[in-house]
Order: sequence, then C-alpha cells, then structure tokens
Amino acid sequence: MVFSFAYGSVGWEFMEVMRLVVTGPVGAGKSTFIRSISEIDVVDTDRDATDETSQLKKKTTVAMDFGRVNMGEDMALHLYGTPGQSRFDFMWDVLIRKAHAYILLVPANRPGEFRNARVISNFMRQRTKAPMVIGFTHLDCPGAWTMENMAIALGYGSPLIKRPAMVEVNPTESMSVATAIMALIEHL
Amino acid sequence: MINSEKLNSILQNFVTGVSDIQGAAIVTPDGLSLSSVLGAGMDEERVAAMSAAMLSLGERIGSELARGTVDRILIEGDTGYGFLTNCGSDAVLLVLAHQSAKQGLVQLEIKRLASELKLMFK
Repeated sequence: MVFSFAYGSVGWEFMEVMRLVVTGPVGAGKSTFIRSISEIDVVDTDRDATDETSQLKKKTTVAMDFGRVNMGEDMALHLYGTPGQSRFDFMWDVLIRKAHAYILLVPANRPGEFRNARVISNFMRQRTKAPMVIGFTHLDCPGAWTMENMAIALGYGSPLIKRPAMVEVNPTESMSVATAIMALIEHL
Repeated sequence: MINSEKLNSILQNFVTGVSDIQGAAIVTPDGLSLSSVLGAGMDEERVAAMSAAMLSLGERIGSELARGTVDRILIEGDTGYGFLTNCGSDAVLLVLAHQSAKQGLVQLEIKRLASELKLMFK
C-alpha cells in the first residue's frame, strides 16, 4: 500500500490511496460496478459500440472508467475500469501496472466470454503480482453457469492449482459491490 | 453508405501529397479502423483503438477541466507528431508526421482533410 497526498475533506492531506482495477470481458458489468459505488461522478469514456458489442449494449468503454470511494478519514479507494475488448489491451497494461489489487468480472450467463476472461487474467498475471479476486456477475440471468463450473472453465479445476478468491457480485447493487471490494481488500 | 474506396484514396492522396506525413488513419469512436495508410510495423487494429482511447480521454479532460469541445489533440514526441482530430460523431482522424514537419502546414492540411471527411460521414 502507498501513502500519497490526495484532496480529502479538509483540503490536501496525507492519505492512503489504494488503486483497484476492475477488469473482465465485454458486458461483464465493469462500468456499472464502478458507478454503483463511486462517491464522485464517474469519469467514463463511453462511445457507441459499432462492433459485435452493439448486439449486447449500446455503449462501450474505450479508455477507462474512474471512480473514488473514501474509506474513513485517511484512506481512499481509486477504482479504474478497463475496456473489455482485447484491441484495448494497451489500456489493460497501463492500468494494471499501478494496481494494488484487481477484480476480474466474469458474466456467468455468457460462457463464450470465459475464454476472454482467461486471456485477460493471463495478461494481468504476466504484469503484476497484485492479488486478484474473481467476481461472477449475471448469476441471476437465464443460462447462468454455477460458480463451481465456471471455476473449472477458467482453469481452476485441478486441486493442484491454487484458486483465487471467488465472489458473487451484482454490479447494479452498491451493497453487493461493496462486499466484493471488501473481499478484494482482505486479500491485500 | 460510406464509400470505402473513396475514403482510402482520399487518405492515400493526403499521405503522399503532404510533405513529412508518415501515416494517417480514420477510425470509429469505439476504436475500429475504417481506413488507414500506415507505415510498416504499425498494427492497424492497435492504432485504431489507441486513437479512440486518446481522443475520448482528451474530450473528457476538455469537459471536466472546462476546456470546452476538443477539436484536436497533439502528441509531440522527439521523433515526430501525432494529431488526433474529431471528424463528426462517427469518425476520428489520426495523422502521423515526421519531426521535421511544419506544424502550421500540417494543421492546415488536416483541417482541410477533416472538413472533406466530415461531409462523407454526414
């Protein structure tokens, strides 16, 4: 963890800033996750989707999302959301390098994205030793896989492979997002 | 319907016609290539995504830091320039120029090119 100056409630002060990256494939709920919990207006970079993403949603993140949450008097969480498409992997690289921890969101109802989730987690693992938590989203949607089956699909089937913490998260509910963030902080 | 042949030829003429221009690309605001004339070793897909990311961040800075609507973003490196220009709501123009380029000239040419492209994307 780092200490740095940040603009807090009483002006510039010594504040602990923890940077968390929210990553995962397209449509996992990364931007929603940050919007649900940020105490500031989220800095987003949404643009109209024109690729296959447009079948899923109208807008897509092209650079990053940024949100902030204060944790008590002297600590702030900075949340950075990545784009989901691999053509933006230079943004994954930029954002992960300074992250203290990251959460990989995986949409449970779209097994076609599990492969992309693995691509992203491999990409991150090659660049950071920061802890990762996997957050499964869309578990209440039709066709959602069970967490156990997804763990296997993501390559954590063998008992010989250490599993990262896995949580269920609904990005539209701030309480659920808060719980996921707490899980992430516990692993620091 | 966008005439992609025409788009390519406009871009090709621009790159070959203006001195010290090293490449140009037209991309969608969500980072997909529409047309490009780039030097060897430059990946079209990456160039497109980077252009869109940079312009969106720049536009966000423009609004958040009260700079108004962003017309252009300039990247000045020690071996050359990168110019990003908004061409309406459907296209972003990236122009790469050599460090020896006359900035005023390049910017004037980009302005002309951008207005020509804007008509195509209407």
